[in-house]
Amino acid sequence: MISFSRLPFIFLTITCGISTGEEAVDFSRDIRPILSGKCFKCHGPDSGSREADLRLDLRDAALDAEAIIAGAAHESSLFDRVTTGDLDDRMPPKGKPLSQEEVRLLRIWIDAGAPYENHWAYEKPVPTDLPSGSTHPIDHFVRARLEEKGLRPAPPADPAVLLRRLSLDLIGIPPTIEEVSRFERDPSEACYEREVDRLLASNHFGEKWARHWLDLARYADSNGYQHDDLRTMWPYRDWVINALNEDMPFDRFTIEQLAGDLLPNPSREQLVATGFHRNVATNFSGGSKVRELRADILHDRVSTTGQVWLAMTMECSQCHDHKFDPIPQRDYYELYAYFNQAVTEFAMEGPGMFRKKFIGADLPFVGSRIDKRRVEEISDTIELVAAKLEEAKATALADQVKWEREFLDSDRGANIPWKRFPWNLRGGLNHLRIPPAKRTDDEKLNVEALLFYDHPATGPHERTLDRLKEERDDLVARTMVMKDEKEMVPTNLFLRGDYTSLGEHVEPGVPDVLHPLDPGLPPNRLGLAQWIVDPENPLTARVTVNRFWAEIFGRGIVTTPEDFGMQSPSPTHPELLDWLALEFIRQDWSMKQLIKTIVMSETYRQTATACAEKMAQDPANEWLARGPRFRLSAELIRDNLLAISGRLSRKIGGPAVYPPQPEGLWKEISGADVSHYPTSEGEDRQRRGLYTFLRRGNPNPMVLNFDGSGRSACVTSRDRSNTPVQALNLLNDPCYVEAAQAFAAWIEGVPGDDFSKATAAFRRAVARQPSEAERQALVALYEKHGSWFSVAQVILNLDETLTKS
Amino acid sequence: MKADEIDRLRAGNRSLARREFFRRGTLGIGSLALSKLLQDDLGASIFGNDNAILKSHHAPKAKRVIFLHMVGGPSQMDTFDPKPELDKWDGKSLPEELTRGQKFAFITGDARAIRSPYSFAPRGESGMIMSELFPHLATVADELTMIRSMQTNEINHGSGELFLHTGHGRLGRPTFGAWTSYGLGSENSNLPSYVVLKDQHPNAGPSAWSSGFLPSKHQGVLFRTGRNPLFYLENPHDVSASERGDVIDAIGELNGLAFDRYQDPEIQTRIAQYELAYRMQTSVPELSDLKREPEHVLSLYGLDADGEGGDFAKNCLLARRLCERGVRFVQIFNKGWDHHANIYQALPRSAAKVDRACAGLLIDLKQRGLLDDTLVIWGGEFGRTPMVQENNAGTGAKTAPGRDHHKECFTIWMAGGGVKKGYTYGATDDFGFGVTENAVHVHDWHATCQHLLGIDHEQLTYRHQGRDFRLTDVHGHIVRNILA
Repeated sequence: MISFSRLPFIFLTITCGISTGEEAVDFSRDIRPILSGKCFKCHGPDSGSREADLRLDLRDAALDAEAIIAGAAHESSLFDRVTTGDLDDRMPPKGKPLSQEEVRLLRIWIDAGAPYENHWAYEKPVPTDLPSGSTHPIDHFVRARLEEKGLRPAPPADPAVLLRRLSLDLIGIPPTIEEVSRFERDPSEACYEREVDRLLASNHFGEKWARHWLDLARYADSNGYQHDDLRTMWPYRDWVINALNEDMPFDRFTIEQLAGDLLPNPSREQLVATGFHRNVATNFSGGSKVRELRADILHDRVSTTGQVWLAMTMECSQCHDHKFDPIPQRDYYELYAYFNQAVTEFAMEGPGMFRKKFIGADLPFVGSRIDKRRVEEISDTIELVAAKLEEAKATALADQVKWEREFLDSDRGANIPWKRFPWNLRGGLNHLRIPPAKRTDDEKLNVEALLFYDHPATGPHERTLDRLKEERDDLVARTMVMKDEKEMVPTNLFLRGDYTSLGEHVEPGVPDVLHPLDPGLPPNRLGLAQWIVDPENPLTARVTVNRFWAEIFGRGIVTTPEDFGMQSPSPTHPELLDWLALEFIRQDWSMKQLIKTIVMSETYRQTATACAEKMAQDPANEWLARGPRFRLSAELIRDNLLAISGRLSRKIGGPAVYPPQPEGLWKEISGADVSHYPTSEGEDRQRRGLYTFLRRGNPNPMVLNFDGSGRSACVTSRDRSNTPVQALNLLNDPCYVEAAQAFAAWIEGVPGDDFSKATAAFRRAVARQPSEAERQALVALYEKHGSWFSVAQVILNLDETLTKS
Repeated sequence: MKADEIDRLRAGNRSLARREFFRRGTLGIGSLALSKLLQDDLGASIFGNDNAILKSHHAPKAKRVIFLHMVGGPSQMDTFDPKPELDKWDGKSLPEELTRGQKFAFITGDARAIRSPYSFAPRGESGMIMSELFPHLATVADELTMIRSMQTNEINHGSGELFLHTGHGRLGRPTFGAWTSYGLGSENSNLPSYVVLKDQHPNAGPSAWSSGFLPSKHQGVLFRTGRNPLFYLENPHDVSASERGDVIDAIGELNGLAFDRYQDPEIQTRIAQYELAYRMQTSVPELSDLKREPEHVLSLYGLDADGEGGDFAKNCLLARRLCERGVRFVQIFNKGWDHHANIYQALPRSAAKVDRACAGLLIDLKQRGLLDDTLVIWGGEFGRTPMVQENNAGTGAKTAPGRDHHKECFTIWMAGGGVKKGYTYGATDDFGFGVTENAVHVHDWHATCQHLLGIDHEQLTYRHQGRDFRLTDVHGHIVRNILA
């Protein structure tokens, strides 16, 4: 098929704008958004919805159709149709007409010869020649823009504030007063770099940055939808933490998650990494169909892969050619084919239609060394008891006729845990009531299962086994991993996206608009992953550095981290984006090095304070004339408040935990087998936010209140809302009330007078010294109530405490 | 001192603090929000109203919505869509050409048909036909538009609910309520624009009131039944109202100092939010205290001393109170309509639980002049099959007869807010299996509801993943015939 990128573009070399005596018009910046927003829907890449056989996304086609006559706007039918007063003829037929400004830009552009450009994101990043000198490249690029905008960079942040910012960014935990004081004594470049290196080396680094990745990986601890059964994916979460801590290169990080199972002799860790694509929410409700379910899950894998690595939004192409981006439906299903190779992952359970279960590949997973020993002990005991049970079965069988009569006459049925038995026994004692001679083999086995459970000769052994197995299951988690069929699974396009309407056959392949697939790569997920991290790929590195940038500065250089397509806003600093991408690859895809590069810039180290005028000039801090300042994520607010109060557990990894939450939330989940929330005891109540059990069907309210989600789908950026419900949460949730109590006790213990105590408390939360007015306000509150509790609550709820400044 | 007295005193104190704030002078971007806050209830919304993205595309007929979702899928042929012909088919399989290729959740296409045992009669002056299961609703038949020709794409509860609320059968899209909040905002900055009430969770859980990819402030806020409708509304037991007031004031004062330093308007919003949180601690319990309603109003809903109104009735009354206070969208979930088995025992019970309160709600709204611009909607996520289901889907055990899920046709009714009165629209075949006339797909219904709210469903869009999404996806036609 004809590739979008390989068509001739006559004016391809003109990239820096054109001038016709009027101001310069830039195709990518000024014209493509108009064409894409107003025209491509009917005159773009989607052949299925193309009107009048006209496409405007290709210059040659637009010229051939005389929609555009290069150099003559007033003779071009495109121009005529968007400006005509005849409403029947005017384009676009629906929605707002072009604004005067858009018309003007279009005219200048056509008069100048209507030069097209390839979309920047599908071209390789361009290196910039940096001037010699000691200016950090990031500062070089940022300042060039500031100058254009008439803005000046801000002075460096107060050392205490800077160290807090750095600490929150790198490990998500605020610095101690001692760390702050040490840095204040010598805030030199060398000391700053030492702090950066210290924090990058901390094992809490992986925890901080895992949260960001787990949103993308839609990691959760339950299936979602009706029933919302639990799943064990925390080994995958721990894999992410470890990989980040080890600074696994991003290309490796990608390959192991997308295709670790297809590597030669994959290690356990490499298999666990493939949990990335087993994280998909899964609808196991009553009437859901297995084929439909599989299609849903594979669509999610394609879409998530597209968003996370390529910032290409694939969803549209499920049903038809993409209307804006050069992704034909066929390309979509070629990608789908890579995922369609997966083994069957779920099946009906039992004869009923109510439940399905996972049957794909999984791995037993034992936590600690102590656990391993205990698991071995239990397994040995299970063998012994099982042998005894086998012996005793003869006794029970000999007694079966008498037992059946007795059992039916008794009310012992009320004490049987029916869920333990095969589905077809649950509805009552149906099979037992069938005369023995008429029972099928299955029915006989079912009745025997009940006999063995209830008969005094075998029952005790059965119950012991149940208990032992349950104990072992608690220690041995099975976590889901990817696995492919050995034989090639054929893939067909779905007509209109309907999985029951198969279209033409497709082979695994990648979008034609991007770099070509090396024919030496295997036609499976491993090949796909290798293609994704090929340095020829114009997107992966850019998309990744953009997300890291957004996590640190609060907004990306491209503000739509999931979409670098035709409809995406242009990068604010295109040269910077390209430089970071190339630097990322040059540094062997080191994520820690990338972060270090960013935080070593002066741009990062600027103060976030501003005067009203500066704020008004750039309210969103698009141009970075001041340091980043924005509210922390739900998880970091929790970590931060617990750390300030001195209660935060520093334990890393392991099964998800159950800190206290309002009662009854799990009971509200429709059709849930597991409705009891097993509130943790001890240290597990104070773990970091990313370890809190994430039940998709009813997530912890604090997480939702602060813009987290049930991770039902890939989340590339979170909101930062500001609501009264958040205030109530932090003021009244027992978790934060207890934190305030602990913090108050700590303040009480600070040596010195009330002013010293108030100062220490303030420093512990926001690092910097309080002003005199701030100290006065805190002490006045203490004096009024005679306790530090109110003061502690105030400090834990300050905007500055909840914000990275 | 009573709570409201403390409140008044504190309001005075805080206006002093605000004057102090102004005296310091440096008001930046956030000054607009702050000045609105000074006019008390008009602005500075957290919950959304200063962020309403449009006035309206055209003059709205409805300013607000109360959506009564009967979770599980009520049986249309036993309630509002009589099928006398089905009597003849009772016990027989339906014609194969009808059922071929159709998806069912649990039964198969050849399952035998089962008649409805209920008597139907014309009600009100309009003669709208209803079954005997809704005697109270029958008294307000002349207020209703009945749509018998609804269609959806999904046959399972979770996905069906999502389709009904978001126009898409999978997780992740914004709901009708979230779109409404996004488009129109709230009329009361002290309350969310989108409130959810329920006796039980729907199957899709909180995804049924999610903001999807819209800003998260547009997600529905769940008010629970009982004294504290919101989590964390009550002070810790040893913190007095006055101590809390001092804490809020101190937070405000210190945040004010931080604002001087950073000029970040988010800080001003946060000051306002903490003050609002404090006010909500009084206003929300008051709002949910139904005992403040007079006896004659309570009895409308069956909530008087010998009334039988339960959580659903309470939620209906609370919905009215919320609407009076400017809440834009009240979503009520009532569970118990998934009658796979034993439908003829269970359905009358389900109907009895909602009948009186539904009628009461319409009468109450009308008496207050609210019905004209409140759109009330009643319906489930799909309908039920004319064929019987006789086995438990899980165990296979024989059960008393029921009906399976059905997406090809179902019935909903609407009232108030710009829809015709006493009007029946659309028709289904003799079996109640498929639509024969004037099909209204969920997308069309969304387009129509948005139209009533003054929203052009093709124009209210949100850019996500490079695409301008809307509630109606790429579909939806306004059903002009039902517009008053």
